[in-house]
Amino acid sequence: MSWRNIKLIFIKELVGTIRDKRTIIAMIIIPLIFYPVLFTGIGYFNKLGSMKSEEAASKIIIRGAEFAPQLVKHLRDSEKVEILITEEDSPNKLQNGDVQAVLVIPSDFKYKIEQEEPGKLILKYDTTEAKSRVAQKRVNQIIEKYKGEILLQRISRLNLQEEFLTPLILQEENIATAEKITGSFLAVILPYLIIILIFAGAMHTAVDITAGEKERGTIATLLVSQISRLEIVLGKCFAVMLISFTSMVLGLLGLTLAFLLGASIAGGIEGVNFGISINTIFLLFLVLFPLVGLASAVLVMVGIFARNIREASSYITPIYMLTVFLGVISVSQGMELTGKMFLVPILNSSFVFKEILMGKIYWNHILITFSANIIIAGLALLGATRLFTKEEVLFRS
Amino acid sequence: MIQVEGMTKIFHDKKRGKIVAVNNLEFNCRKGQVFGLLGPNGAGKTTTLRILATMILPTKGKIMVNELDVVKHAAKVRSQIGFLSSETGLYDRFTPRETVMFFGRINGMKDKIIEKRRAEIFHNLDMEDFQDVRVNKLSTGMKQKLSIARSIIHDPPVLILDEPTVGLDIITARTVTEYVKSFRDQGKCIVYSTHIMREAEKMCDVIAIIHQGNLIAQGTLSELKKNSSSDDLEEIFFELINQGENLG
Repeated sequence: MSWRNIKLIFIKELVGTIRDKRTIIAMIIIPLIFYPVLFTGIGYFNKLGSMKSEEAASKIIIRGAEFAPQLVKHLRDSEKVEILITEEDSPNKLQNGDVQAVLVIPSDFKYKIEQEEPGKLILKYDTTEAKSRVAQKRVNQIIEKYKGEILLQRISRLNLQEEFLTPLILQEENIATAEKITGSFLAVILPYLIIILIFAGAMHTAVDITAGEKERGTIATLLVSQISRLEIVLGKCFAVMLISFTSMVLGLLGLTLAFLLGASIAGGIEGVNFGISINTIFLLFLVLFPLVGLASAVLVMVGIFARNIREASSYITPIYMLTVFLGVISVSQGMELTGKMFLVPILNSSFVFKEILMGKIYWNHILITFSANIIIAGLALLGATRLFTKEEVLFRS
Repeated sequence: MIQVEGMTKIFHDKKRGKIVAVNNLEFNCRKGQVFGLLGPNGAGKTTTLRILATMILPTKGKIMVNELDVVKHAAKVRSQIGFLSSETGLYDRFTPRETVMFFGRINGMKDKIIEKRRAEIFHNLDMEDFQDVRVNKLSTGMKQKLSIARSIIHDPPVLILDEPTVGLDIITARTVTEYVKSFRDQGKCIVYSTHIMREAEKMCDVIAIIHQGNLIAQGTLSELKKNSSSDDLEEIFFELINQGENLG
């Protein structure tokens, strides 16, 4: 085996891939331009929508206004509430969106308040309408304020202090560090994203340089050269690994950028203080490397087996679905893997990613995952090399 | 240069069972000779050439290329051969210069030597004008010239050409046949498969007629004519095939 030959194939595949417009679109334009623009757009329109419903005054109908003059005064004082007083039943107006809420004050309301009993109020609104939800929130706040006033009146009549209503004070202190908060936030979604991006990044190149070479008839020219089958497979696999890894990094970068842009437009992010240590990054790489190798080797093997690009794509679709499935399992909260489960590729990586991000370093899990994935990747590479020597695979049409 | 004794290749197909693609072939090809394999599609020409080029293994037989056994010394045999067929594609996203450099390198050549040889070949094949244009922008004729350049960059003593003019227009096809003749004059040993009678007549020093995996006749054109009632290769071809089928 000669490293020079492996390098020759590696560089050839890399140059060929970079010169392919589809790679540039998939690797750079989509994550770094399309995602941020898309998220910014979504953020912008969300904000525009919520600003519209926040800015306009909510129109509400009050029935039985004369039974709670004090409350109606509070509502009238609010700039954001416009009141229509009517006695007729008007469910249509709420349904049509002419008004955003209907407040019904029963005739015994005043009496009940005076008797120091609970006074009942009915607020009708439509939860599927953004403007109606805003109206409900506004009316609620005013009612809460009015409730506070009634309470104060009642306790002062009993000669009690305001403190009477506060029998205990609970002070909560969150001891989670910024790193742990970031970790737990990332642990939910990051392993899944990493796995999907690695596979998606490897797929196109892996198929193009294996089944694609068969389809275009260039593979025969490699097979009659001085270069060995193993060298060809290794060169191709290393190229797919680099492309896959780069697309994952660019994908994550694009998504982070998109998330930050989208969030800042929609009103900024609070409480997320990013912190990730060098140690964590190193450990993540330790799990990442065999996973990238595994994805590349398996996809290269499938690509060599397939007759053409179309056939390869149909073989890869179920593999990709399985990957998505294993990734989704890892997103589900509360699930824990046990000993032998760490031998299952993809699933093991996503759980170890999760553990590392949460700051739980279990070396046995890391080592089992590392070795299992490396061994499977190696077997896939050997399989791919064997396929390259099989006449029925190379020349079937 | 090439000695083939008892070359047999059997494929196993799930639906059709055992298929004898080539059966007990015997032939030799010397230095400075064009050996023509003439036969219809499916006769076994491509299988024969793939075995000579070490792409597939023979089921039986002893096959030597430049004194090297194709089964035992496949890697060494590959350094001795240039292979060109209608199926050997080119990399669309590379230029002719890059293509030839790549194939020189994977055949173990040093860059300096590749560069010298490349300049010479590109000059001879009149390729200098498009040497830096990507392959996907080249015409069929330009591509075929590049395929030739690619297959001879490492200066192999043996050339294996599998229907190299298939699908080419008359001018490009002529360019190819002219080069094959010039390679013969340089003393290379050339195995050339074709199903075009005119081509075989014009180019080949020895013609082997192959049908359904069997070699039914071989000799120079005049030898073939002598043993036949006709003077025309096409007539000779059909006469032999009919005889072969009657015998079979």
